[in-house]
Amino acid sequence: MIDRSEIISRMTGLLYPFILLFGFYIILNGHASPGGGFQGGAVLAAVFITRYLVEPDRCIRLKTLKTAEKVLFICIILYPAFFLFSTTANHSELTNLTYLIAMNFLIGLKVCSGFTIIFFRFAFYEGGI
Amino acid sequence: MTENIFLIALVVLAIVALNTKKLRRAVVYLGAFSLVSSFVYLLYGAPDVAIAEAIIGSTITTVLYLVALRKYQVFSIYYANSANDQNLRQLKNEPPFLTSLEAFLIKREMEPQLIYSGEPIETILAQEKFDLAIHHTDQDIWIYGCAEDYQIDAVEEYLLANHSDLNIHLIRCAEGDDNEA
Repeated sequence: MIDRSEIISRMTGLLYPFILLFGFYIILNGHASPGGGFQGGAVLAAVFITRYLVEPDRCIRLKTLKTAEKVLFICIILYPAFFLFSTTANHSELTNLTYLIAMNFLIGLKVCSGFTIIFFRFAFYEGGI
Repeated sequence: MTENIFLIALVVLAIVALNTKKLRRAVVYLGAFSLVSSFVYLLYGAPDVAIAEAIIGSTITTVLYLVALRKYQVFSIYYANSANDQNLRQLKNEPPFLTSLEAFLIKREMEPQLIYSGEPIETILAQEKFDLAIHHTDQDIWIYGCAEDYQIDAVEEYLLANHSDLNIHLIRCAEGDDNEA
């Protein structure tokens, strides 16, 4: 990890778009196929973690990620509340679908930022040496 | 049939991961273990759990363990003093070369763990798991280390450069399996 490997950095650079695509596929298809917000978010977090293996520098902005996680958490709480209490009539198929996809998306982004924060806190700030 | 093969592979990988001497290899075996277990989940018809196991078990946990191993490398030093009584009384405050050796090891991202031992040096060499064993006699300091440990060369170079007045002899032992990580 100290001396950077040319092969690993180039191959992970090639793999980033595919990992991102796979993560968003898992999140957005979570209501119909296996997967969902949690698994897709973990795949998205793997992008940041492999980035640490390639170049371990501290230029990642943890504070932004923390505020993003808090905002997403508030959204995750508020959106179902609004969805439940906005209309008293039966929900149509389309609104249910959009609700599921949006919730999966929010949960996926929150899990991604949470995993990234946990990993970088551990890698940079814990241990004391 | 395939299920049975992969279940047996799970047991074999778990036993191998438990019985390896090096922690780094055990981490890699654990990653393979959770990959196989995620495939078994898939065979039993739980693709959701399989995805979560494959991502968390074999990617994130493996990387976390590797980072933790790199962070926390314990370097145990056994110190045996067989000098005469006057020197033994001075044992309460550390000899200066040990303090500087510890500072050197901390600089190289290791955690020195100093163990004072009253036993003779032969029993320490035979029984304990050590990275360095230091034998302090009246005039000489004998340092025993593993020949395969790459840190020994740096330690020897450092000690010879900074404490050349102390009669330090470095002896490399052949056994290398007891060291972890």
